[in-house]
Amino acid sequence: MSIDLHTLSGAYALDALSAEEAAEFEKHLQDCSACRDEVRELQDAASLMGASQATSPSAALRARVLTAADHQPQLRPRVTALASARTRRRGWVPVLAAAAVAAIIAFAGFGVLQDRDGSTDRSPATTSVAQVFKASDARTASIPVSTWGRIRVATSAQNGQMAVDTHGLRQLDGRAYQLWAVRNGHSTSVGVIDDVTTGTVVPIPVAGTTVAITVEPEGGSTQPTTQPIVTMDPETV
Amino acid sequence: MSESGLRLVPASGPADVDALVRRVALGDAGAFERLYDELSPAVFGLARRVVRDPARAEDVTQEAFLEVWRGAARFDSNLGKAKTWVMTIAHRRAVDAVRRSESQKRQDHHGHLDEVSHDEPADALIAADEHSAVRTCMETLTDLQLESVRLAYYNGYTYNEVATLLGKPLPTIKTRMRDGLIRLRDCLEGHR
Repeated sequence: MSIDLHTLSGAYALDALSAEEAAEFEKHLQDCSACRDEVRELQDAASLMGASQATSPSAALRARVLTAADHQPQLRPRVTALASARTRRRGWVPVLAAAAVAAIIAFAGFGVLQDRDGSTDRSPATTSVAQVFKASDARTASIPVSTWGRIRVATSAQNGQMAVDTHGLRQLDGRAYQLWAVRNGHSTSVGVIDDVTTGTVVPIPVAGTTVAITVEPEGGSTQPTTQPIVTMDPETV
Repeated sequence: MSESGLRLVPASGPADVDALVRRVALGDAGAFERLYDELSPAVFGLARRVVRDPARAEDVTQEAFLEVWRGAARFDSNLGKAKTWVMTIAHRRAVDAVRRSESQKRQDHHGHLDEVSHDEPADALIAADEHSAVRTCMETLTDLQLESVRLAYYNGYTYNEVATLLGKPLPTIKTRMRDGLIRLRDCLEGHR
């Protein structure tokens, strides 16, 4: 089995496997560091075959791509994967992975959190919590939560971002903190905080939106299932 | 993009693609522009080779660069070079495009094997040394290795399809693809 899989490295590097085979091979790669090294080298070679075909595209395409990128939000880094490596505990990794997926899905389609000019999620989504706190126009607040500890919040109007620093909260076992945008009585998930040492950065919500944090089962919920431990108005930070 | 007509082609020393991708991950639009200028000929050329149709190759190029823009924060330099990452994204996009639309066409032209194009790239501004090394090194592959690697990479065929087209058993083709790429890798290392 593993010998058979190993010989697929060439076909994999050439993208010549079916989707199912590629998925199976990637599973194999997770447990085989020698295979990963080989795939990396073979992909380097394949990509040089690709680069040898270089032809300049039209200037019109350049404008199109740059404009399209300007209108596209970026994916958040997979901080939970790093966090899980740092704070690995019994049975955590798959749970964190699931939570990360939940967080990504939550971020993929939210309509409530918008920049003030109305364009959705315009700001790059890759800023760290610390960067927002360090922004030249950052406004910060330290807010006690009803259970235990406190959160620190920073908003930067310039970046259009709000950072929530959750170092001051207890790491939960089997549950997670979830962030909600609440507007006209309607709650929309804006993220699950799996690791209190990471916190989260979200776009500043439109005026009239409050931000609430609840404790939810790991991976988050589609709607709040508990009373918020804190509610804040980003406008007043 | 009024300045696009004035764009500078990097004349000497390739930009540090890894560093550019790290900047793109921070939302740096200028770095993304430079990354595009650095890699769009390679991405477009590859897309063109795989999907053939220039308009579709442009679409693939756009999709690939948007994926790079969106996913830059998830690029892990421990897993490889940024340039390989971008080219891998581009190749997968191109292959997806050609498999989607050609599954139909291939049924119509059952058994017909597309000529592997030998077009020379039209662009003279590209780092020629590296490319000539690739061509030289590809010539060191055996015929079967070369055909297997080419049909898969440049035409987007699966190894199953390659085996069918070349009338060889699956394990043979799998092995030739791997051996061929290993030989290519080793030869290219000698040209560094």
